[in-house]
Amino acid sequence: MQMKNSNDKAGFLGGVTASVTHELQNVLAIIKETSGLMEDFLLMNQAGGMPDLDERLGKCLETIKKQSYRGVTLTSRLNGFAHTSDSPQSTINIFETLQKMISITDRLFKQKGIDVSIIPCDTPYSIITDAILFQMIAFSCIECLIDAFQANTAIILAIQSSESQAAIQLLCNNRDLNHMDYRQKIIQTHHWEKINALCEQLGLKADISTDIPALLIFFK
Amino acid sequence: MNSQRINILLIDDEIEFISTLAERLELRGYASTIASDGESGISLVAKKSFDVAILDLMMPGLNGLDTLRQIKTIDTSLPVILLTGHGSTKDGMEGMRMGAFDFLMKPLDINELLEKIKLAIKEPAKE
Repeated sequence: MQMKNSNDKAGFLGGVTASVTHELQNVLAIIKETSGLMEDFLLMNQAGGMPDLDERLGKCLETIKKQSYRGVTLTSRLNGFAHTSDSPQSTINIFETLQKMISITDRLFKQKGIDVSIIPCDTPYSIITDAILFQMIAFSCIECLIDAFQANTAIILAIQSSESQAAIQLLCNNRDLNHMDYRQKIIQTHHWEKINALCEQLGLKADISTDIPALLIFFK
Repeated sequence: MNSQRINILLIDDEIEFISTLAERLELRGYASTIASDGESGISLVAKKSFDVAILDLMMPGLNGLDTLRQIKTIDTSLPVILLTGHGSTKDGMEGMRMGAFDFLMKPLDINELLEKIKLAIKEPAKE
């Protein structure tokens, strides 16, 4: 089990890292092309003069500045994500952890035409858990909903609570399906078994909502 | 910076990247048209004639390989140069098996791209 966990974790970390570094390649590609364009302008100016050189160079610098900020945001997110594996057990704020997971996997899901978002939560729920496995559960739930309900959809995460229990709800915006249909679709995906196995390891419980196409991960 | 008015179609969801690249190609005498997703690129290929297309592999919605497949059904002779941000050549090679002329890694070297464009318009496209 430990070996399988390590492989699964490595796969998850690798997938997320590949997506972010791919986006960083785009940032660098823009910076490289823009600085190349500045070089072109300077050469043209030397050759015969460019009346609007300052304005053009100014626009290029703006682009480089904007892309540099984008790059810094990406590396900060990636660094924060990498540090979640520092210790096997840690106290995590559920909302913050999910929010960070969404921001770093955003591009992966957008490639599939899916928008993933989270509704802000006022209550600072925390649990002591394996932060990577916890994020893998949420990630697998999103993939499960995508596979079950196909692309061109939105998935919304929310933390719901009552006096006796609290859960992460992962809701798919496809509300046309009846309970039996969407339950069947979710169970048929290969993710469902994995979600349950991961939840069992962390002492959490996975369920399927009875009123809307949503997955529930109970943590209290 | 002189060359014939070769028509180049650039397809990439990174607008700042393709618009800058388009401007650099224009400065070198090429005519460039940009499309920010696979669907728009395919629709442009159906309406207009291009000498070469430059296509990013990783795009939201219709991805690069699916876009390439559809472009090839409309215009089998259009040479397509793929762009990839991946560290590996796997997707680029897959694209070439599907009929792409060649592939390049991002960030680009403009001179390398210009060489590929020149080669692409000389050689008949693979089918």
